Amino acid sequence: MSAADIRVFRQKIDSTASMKKIFNAMELIATSRIGKARQRVAASMPYANAITRAVSAVSSQQDIEHVLTSEPENPRRAAVLIMSSDRGLAGAYSANILRKAEALIERLHEEDKTADLYLIGRKAQAYFDFRNRPYKGFWTGSTDSPDFDTAKEIGETLVEAFLTDYEDGGVDEIHIVYTEFKSMVNQEPMVIRLLPLEFVDEEVADESDLFPLYEYEPAPEEVLDALLPKYIESRIFSAMLQAAASELASRQRAMSAAGDNADDLIRDYTLLMNNARQASITQELTELIAGADALAE
Amino acid sequence: MTATINESGTGAATGAVGRIARVTGPVIDAEFPADAMPGIYNALTVDVELDGKTSTITFETAQHLGENLVRAIAMQSTDGLVRGQEVRDTGSAITVPVGDVVKGHIFNALGDSLDVESSELDVQERWPIHRQAPHFADLEGSTEMLETGIKVIDLLTPYIQGGKIGLFGGAGVGKTVLIQEMITRVARNFGGTSVFAGVGERTREGNDLWVEMDEADVLKDTALVFGQMDEPPGTRLRVALTGLTMAEYFRDVQKQDVLLFIDNIFRFSQAGMEVSTLLGRMPSAVGYQPNLADEMGVLQERITSTRGHSITSMQAVYVPADDYTDPAPANVFAHLDATTNLTRDLASRGLYPAVDPLASTSRILDPQYVGQEHYEVATRVKQILQKNKELQDIIAILGVDELSEEDRVTVSRARRMEQFLSQNTYTAKQFTGVEGSTVPIKDTIEGFKAIADGDLDHVSEQAFYNVGGLDDVEREWARIQKEG
Repeated sequence: MSAADIRVFRQKIDSTASMKKIFNAMELIATSRIGKARQRVAASMPYANAITRAVSAVSSQQDIEHVLTSEPENPRRAAVLIMSSDRGLAGAYSANILRKAEALIERLHEEDKTADLYLIGRKAQAYFDFRNRPYKGFWTGSTDSPDFDTAKEIGETLVEAFLTDYEDGGVDEIHIVYTEFKSMVNQEPMVIRLLPLEFVDEEVADESDLFPLYEYEPAPEEVLDALLPKYIESRIFSAMLQAAASELASRQRAMSAAGDNADDLIRDYTLLMNNARQASITQELTELIAGADALAE
Repeated sequence: MTATINESGTGAATGAVGRIARVTGPVIDAEFPADAMPGIYNALTVDVELDGKTSTITFETAQHLGENLVRAIAMQSTDGLVRGQEVRDTGSAITVPVGDVVKGHIFNALGDSLDVESSELDVQERWPIHRQAPHFADLEGSTEMLETGIKVIDLLTPYIQGGKIGLFGGAGVGKTVLIQEMITRVARNFGGTSVFAGVGERTREGNDLWVEMDEADVLKDTALVFGQMDEPPGTRLRVALTGLTMAEYFRDVQKQDVLLFIDNIFRFSQAGMEVSTLLGRMPSAVGYQPNLADEMGVLQERITSTRGHSITSMQAVYVPADDYTDPAPANVFAHLDATTNLTRDLASRGLYPAVDPLASTSRILDPQYVGQEHYEVATRVKQILQKNKELQDIIAILGVDELSEEDRVTVSRARRMEQFLSQNTYTAKQFTGVEGSTVPIKDTIEGFKAIADGDLDHVSEQAFYNVGGLDDVEREWARIQKEG
């Protein structure tokens, strides 16, 4: 142990301490934003529920024949929208999403479908750029506070791709990979298929859940034409809001853990530094005493 | 022959008789007639009777104190000595037998045989253990690589034929095992003569080595010299010189290439420290003797290759408390061509040989000597491992998921490299049950190049652990996949 060791440890302690300040700040920012993000999730729910109910009501018409709802006979290409974060320091948030996305892409390949990727967030973009894997589109810059304009743009892009023929580069399915915000401590990466619509044949439990028998003017198909893009945009926006809340929660948790880790590291290094310092003091004392003794003889 | 140089000062007073004036542990003061003082380094003998047995204790003159007193260091235990006993000056330094007769036998620092009666050996020639280093003009700097078949050593700290190699390490990180591994690898395929000097280490290890060498049938070309930890400091201070003198004879007279193993050179400095204060010197830094650098220099300068005939030496160096700045190991560094540092960090993770890839170096790790490809791969391996080391703090705080894509790849390759730097060794077979492997340098370079290029990113880390070349990795990977 020597003076050099003490200096190295002091440097490490200093740099860890300044990192800790950043972690603390990030944690506070995430904490202050998460309340608003949760409110936005809650606020989007009534509209999302209403439009889902409306779409379900129209599309549950037995005789309906619409391109957005019918399963293509031989799906060959699927669009995958991946919602990651723009910034790091959010623990495994983006890594989990990308893992889920890779699993989905793998599954699509097994079903002989190619995957067209649409990315949200710089982390996903960096991931695919680094691996030299192509993607069709990307949106970055506002993953922690999404706005509806972006959601609308994404929705239009995806619906357009869906309406294009396979031969012209169109897709037969649309999937979203996002993180569902279940609670402050639990966020789960999810995959949902947006189009074609999935019908869940449930036993209707309650009379009141039954859809009233509407008359559509001029025809159910035209209502669907108007309704479906709005439904897609709303679903995407809702997923983006959930993802944003998840990202902030994940960041808050990661930063708090990082702060604790930094504390541990500082404690370890302090101990080592004190050891080194005490060793050099003991060393000098021993030498002084030994030298004085030798002179005294 | 120019090689036999007697350095003993006056050397005139052969057979002079004095008497003991003082005994302090392993150091005595003796009084001699003023006209017959023994020269410095002269051997003195005393006959002593203990428990009805008479034995002879040998001393080496270290200082003239004035008033006809000399101070001398004991080479055996001083039990039974009394003031006033007769001391005889032998007139020369301690001499040890040299030549073919020493092969296959074990000696102590005084050149007495330990496995057979000394009288049974037909000793033709004895050389004094204090000799001069070869002349400046006779030295030859060799730059040919000595291939060991151990990946980490060949790649990162290539050894030099006729060079000096140090194996540094704290207690229990595998110095002795690695030295024995080197004996197995190098001495067996060597053909020349080997000399092993056991300095202040465990007696059991000396016995193990003797038995192993006998079994491997290399004992007939090997001389073993032991002054282990139970011996007095005087012996441990001189036993390295005894072994070295035997090696020098093979080099200078028989014109052979010689391998010299010393385990452990730190004990040499330690023994010097033990007698230093008793000799009346003032302790220097960390309590070491003030002439620490000089003592080491005198020994190390003799371990060298002369024109056409080499001594390749491998020296284990104990590092007290894992502190490389301790004066004793720090002093050895400057003398070496290649240093292999063993670290506790790797040993505690079970990665043997626990060679620190970043701290170990070699003089010939240079494109001029080892070739461009070897140099480039070694540099890349060091870069990747260095980067990984820098990232460790970040990983400890934030987790591996926070790293950028490039860094994550670097970390995963560095982890594979760390595993691949471990290797199954012949000596460790008794611990691991796995037979050792010898990897040609070409395969080593190819293997690390493949990892650095990312050709093996799909192979799991375990497949790289404790294996030889890439073939072994592939076999292991196939096995892991099958077991699923």
